[in-house]
Parts: sequence; structure tokens; C-alpha cells
Amino acid sequence: MKKLLTTILSLGVAASAALAAEPAITAVKVANVNDAAAWSKAKFQTITLYPQTAIEFNDKKANELTANAKAKKAEVAALHDGKNIALMVKWADKTRDLQQCTSSDNYSDGFAVQFAGATKKAQPLPYIGMGSNGRPVVVHLQKATPKVYEPNGNKNVAYQINRQQTGVFGKELADFDAKVASLANTDYEKVFVGEGFRTLTEIKDGSAKSNATMTFSPAGWNATLVRPLKDAYVNLNGTVPVSVAVWDGSKMGRNGLKNLSAWVAINLEGQKANAAMVSELTTDPKGDAAKGKEAAMMNGCNGCHQVEATDPKSFMGPALTNVGGYSTAAYLRESILNPSAVVVPGYNRNAHANTPWYNIENGKRVSTMTDYSFLDKETVDNIVAYLKSLKAEVE
Amino acid sequence: MSKRQLAMVMDLNKCIGCQTCTVACKTQWTNRNGREYMYWNNVETYPGTGYPKNWMELGGGFDAAGDLQPGVIPNLEADYGVPWDYNYESLMGGQADSNNFHPHVSPTWGPNWDEDEGTGVFPQDNYFFYLPRICNHCTNPGCLSACPRDAIFKREEDGVVLVDLDRCQGYRYCIAGCPYKKIYFNPKISKSEKCILCFPRIEQGLPPACAQQCVGRIRFVGFLDDEESQVYKLVHKYKVALGLRSDYGTQPNVYYIPPTESPAKFDAEGKIIEGSTRLPVEELEKLFGPAVHDAIKTLKAEMQKRKETGVSELMDLLIAYQHSDMFRLDNNYYQQVAKENKRNPLAPVDTRYIAGKFTKAGGHH
Repeated sequence: MKKLLTTILSLGVAASAALAAEPAITAVKVANVNDAAAWSKAKFQTITLYPQTAIEFNDKKANELTANAKAKKAEVAALHDGKNIALMVKWADKTRDLQQCTSSDNYSDGFAVQFAGATKKAQPLPYIGMGSNGRPVVVHLQKATPKVYEPNGNKNVAYQINRQQTGVFGKELADFDAKVASLANTDYEKVFVGEGFRTLTEIKDGSAKSNATMTFSPAGWNATLVRPLKDAYVNLNGTVPVSVAVWDGSKMGRNGLKNLSAWVAINLEGQKANAAMVSELTTDPKGDAAKGKEAAMMNGCNGCHQVEATDPKSFMGPALTNVGGYSTAAYLRESILNPSAVVVPGYNRNAHANTPWYNIENGKRVSTMTDYSFLDKETVDNIVAYLKSLKAEVE
Repeated sequence: MSKRQLAMVMDLNKCIGCQTCTVACKTQWTNRNGREYMYWNNVETYPGTGYPKNWMELGGGFDAAGDLQPGVIPNLEADYGVPWDYNYESLMGGQADSNNFHPHVSPTWGPNWDEDEGTGVFPQDNYFFYLPRICNHCTNPGCLSACPRDAIFKREEDGVVLVDLDRCQGYRYCIAGCPYKKIYFNPKISKSEKCILCFPRIEQGLPPACAQQCVGRIRFVGFLDDEESQVYKLVHKYKVALGLRSDYGTQPNVYYIPPTESPAKFDAEGKIIEGSTRLPVEELEKLFGPAVHDAIKTLKAEMQKRKETGVSELMDLLIAYQHSDMFRLDNNYYQQVAKENKRNPLAPVDTRYIAGKFTKAGGHH
């Protein structure tokens, strides 16, 4: 019986593991990525976006809406023209959710593309959750927010007052309204740099160029992003690792309440691919997931982590319920052998003051997780294979 | 925890519910630019629904184990009330037709929708009191702990809790995390905003607008580590000022003198029931914790002492003969902080309230 169970388990794991590694995407070389006709040459690949479940936020309604969230499929294609790279992301969404300027509790659909800061190494890539110490990322964000205003009213305080306080009527009031409307920023597009969750900082000095669009149809969203291959933040060549995230406003999605992909390899056509990186991102890790599960139990992972969705939640370590979906094998291996290699500043530690998941020693975050570097290589391989199998079903 | 902590004490025995504080705050900060629905200061009738509606049931704060509790983000229409406005323009055409003059949305809810309703049976045992509320500038703020972007901070120099609008991305976890629902989402700029304890006024020697305008003189402002300050004496020396819902675990820094004075109940014939009091002490215990019993005892004893002997420092404090007796804003301290941080030190615009631990001068009589 036990043997049969193991076989079934490993079969199940093998079946889902086949979905694990994403295919590499080819960024087709075109004359000009800004030419809409160029997309006819694009080669779409399907990637999977997993619900972010590493940490749970404190929004009760949103947590109810996203409990048992499923993974989503997205169609992704890329183009490049030697100067710029363009991405197109298509995903199904039944509702077009726009954050209105008149509501306290609605949220927009949106999408983001994360690029690794200048790196040629196949591993370790930056931590998928907005990078990690010394491994920066650049994140391009586009939200379907129709109108937002600058907090300081573009330093034009006179236009912050209400229309009835202007003391004018008729044409003068209409002029006032028109001027106020013209001060709105109608494109919620932002570029950020980050070295870990919570460090994300908007680039506001114009040094990061980008152009993102989102178009809705009954099938869902079609989003594009164009950015330079090289700027002060990244130098994209050969093989470009990217990660895609989408938000669903109807599920109160924002910030970590999203679906995101693992790092996906994009090969720039006409350039030499980074074979090591492609292999890293497109191949499933070796190892016996069933044995890995046993090893994870024996080593007490679930003492601090919610490992599977059925395990109790923990404030100590991040939940691992979708870690197989969005993490690379290299990151998982690194975190087992050297838990302090990536310790995100994380959710404010004061939110759970009695379960500190890191201490600061000599100015560095030192994880409170046990160092598992004593495990033999095979066991680590097995645990990594098991962790890679942890992910939600596709909806 | 910040180096020093500014605090406010509100004497609920003296609040007359006139909303002058509310209007002072609104005209100073929140009548424009997406803040129209916000009341950084509001005065609600207790018992009542409060603002936003049933805020005490919307979660946030910490449990006994110190874990941040999930909360609910209130809805503008249902829980805050859309601030309605009128089409004044329709009255300007020469044809003063009242049929054309109407609010831009049909009013369905707003702060103080249930003002002065209270509870109980009139005239036998009905009662209510006013509960003015601002941000508590907590020592352990729920909003700050909830923010995944480090956009909320507590000022080192005086413990004022502020939102960094550059970092804020409008996620609104802060609103869920604040058990008092005293941080708001500004939908026009898509960022959170809150009471700033009028820090630009305080730095220049002026009390917060709500406190300075208060006609009942119920609000005292000063530093908790200044033993000469009114707030120190009320909170630490006499222990008659207590935090609101301290059980939420955020360590609030706005303190309340519980309402001790309430009329007696009437019997069925309309006669006074001697020795009865309309305001149930259980309600006060719910708001201010078990320490409320000792606070009431002290207040009653000092009141009696004052009647008998004519002397009571506590009663003199609470009477607040002079406006300058209510605020110790320690201007030299702020000047020093400005200097250390290479900010522009600004001369105080009013010298009446600038005394403090590090400011010997000031205060006129």
C-alpha cells in the first residue's frame, strides 16, 4: 500500500512538475517595436501566473475573496529592435475594473513586468518578490486607474479647492473645471526599483523610460510594455529574465494580492542566448518530490511555514503554498542551505512582534530559520523537487 | 517608540458637541482635494453608530499575542457618507426656482447622522455623551504595522504619526489595520491621509486647530515626559485621563477624562430616582478600560475636596482658566530639532503656548 501511495504521489508530482518550468520566449527581431504591425510576427507562449501567498495581508474582505485563489494562464510574446524590447501579455478577466476617483474601497485591474537588474548569471536571480539585497529589480506597473491627481496639486494649490468655493459661476466655473480636469494624470504608469519587498521606490526623475498600455475586450486584457534594452537600471541582452504579474480589481487586488509568474527566459533573436540561464528557467529540477515531502516533514519545515494549503497558517516563515509556482529551484536551494541569503525586509515585523523571522546583526538581516546546510545533496534535491510541486491549480 | 511623545487630553465632562473642532480641522485641512469626506477630527454621539459607521467592529489593532488583526476598509457611500453639495449655480440665473436646487447626490448617510440620539427611554433613562476623536498618534500604530511599503512613520521628535505620500501607493492596508479608522483613503490622489496633529502649527507655537478653537476648552496638549505639562499631570500624576479602547493594543496617545457627571434617572411618574445615574459605568469601562473606576473615584474626590476646601490642583487644571494654561508646546525644543536636522528654524507666531521642558520662557498671564 505504501509503495502504491508513493507511486501515485510521484506520478501526481511528475504530472504537475511537467507544468512547472515555463518555456523560453523568443523576442522576435523587428525593425521597430513601436510599429503595431510588428506584432503579427510575434510568437506567443503560455505561462502560468500563481497567486502570491507567501504572506497574508490584513484586509479581511480581500482575504475572503482570494482564499483558495487559483493560478491563471497568460499568453506572452516579445519583440525587440535592437534598442527597445516590447512585451505583450494577454490574460482572461471577466470584468473591467477601474479604480474610481470617488470611492474608498475599489481597486483596478493592472499588470506589471519585472526585470532583473543588470545580471548575466543564471543564478541566483533576484528574489521574485521585488528583488533582494544586492540583487535589484526594475518593475514597470500599469494600472487601469483612469484619473489620479498629484498630492500637491502640481504645486497649484488654487486648483485643489472645491468648485463651490471658487466663488465663480457660469463660464468662469466651467473654465475652472476644465483646468482641474487637465491637471489629472490619466495614465497610471509607474516604474520602480527595488531590492526586496517593501523597498520598492518609484523612479520619478524621468531616468526610466517606458510605455505601457492596457486594452480590454470580452476575452480579457491585452497589455503591452515597451522599454529600452539598456538604461541606467538594466542592460538586457542575450537572455532576459522577466516576471509578469496581474491584478484583478474585482478581487480587491493590489500590491501582494496578485498573480505572478516565475522568472521566464526571453531570448533576444539574433543574439547569443545565455544557455545556462535558459536551462535554469526551463528545466524541472532533479529529485524525488515524494521523498522530498518526507524529508520536509522530518526536518520540521511546517513548524514555521505553512507548507501545503491544508497546514495551519504561520506568521513565522512565508507560506510555501505557491512557492513552486513562482520561485526558481536555485532560490529554493539557496534558502535551504543559507537561509540568510535572502531575507526580505518583509511585512512590518511589528505586525507580528512575537514571531520575529529575522534579527539584525551588524546591520544585516539574519534569518531565524535553521541552517539546513548539513543535509546531503540528494535530500536537498528531493526537498527542492517537492517545493517546486507546491502550487495552486490553474483556474 | 519615539524619543518624546506629544499627547492630547480631552475632558469629556466639558464637551458640548458644538463641532467647532470639526469645522476648525475641516477648514484647515480637509475641505478640498479628495479629502471632502474625511473628518480627521469628528465628534460623535456615544452610544451611536460613530464615524465611520460602527468603526469599533471593523477590526484592526493587535490581539493579546501582539499580532495585527485583519480589518475592513469602510465604503464611502455606506460607511462614511458621500459629502453632498448643491448646484448653487441654478440659483444664479434670475429665476430662483427651488425645484432646480438640489443636492448632487441623495444624502443617505453622513457623520453625525444620529447626533444626539443616544440610547434609553425618554425621559426616564435616556442618555448620551459626546466623544470627540482624532488620530491617536499611537505608540504602536496599527496603520504603520500594516503598511507593506514603509510609507507610514512616527516622528522621532514628538511621536506624530505621518504618511509619506511619496512612498504611499494607496493599498489601504493601513485603514484595515487602524482600529479607530482614523486614516482615510484619498481617492483623488490614490493615497492614504490622516490627522497630522497640526505639526506645522505646533512647531511654530500654535496648538492644533481643533484644540485652540475648542470653545469648551476640553483639549490639553503637551509632552508626556514634561512633568510640568497638563497632559503629564492628568495622565500620569492623577491618572484621570485614559486611552480610548486601549484593548486594541496600539497604545493611543489621545487621552480622555471620562464623563463623570450625568443626571439621575426618572421613575414612571417622572420623579427623580435619588442616587441613580443615567450613564452606565459599564459603557465607560468598555471605552476606557477597568482603570476608569479609579479615575472616576479620583475625579469625584477632588471635586468634593474643591467644594470643601477651595483647593484642588486637578480641578484648577481641568477648569483651564487661561488658554495659555492648556498647552505646553516647548518651542525651544522644536527650534533645536530644526537646527539639528538643518531645517529652517521658524520664529513662533504666538508666544502664549511655547513653554515646555526645554522652554523656560513664554506664557503670559
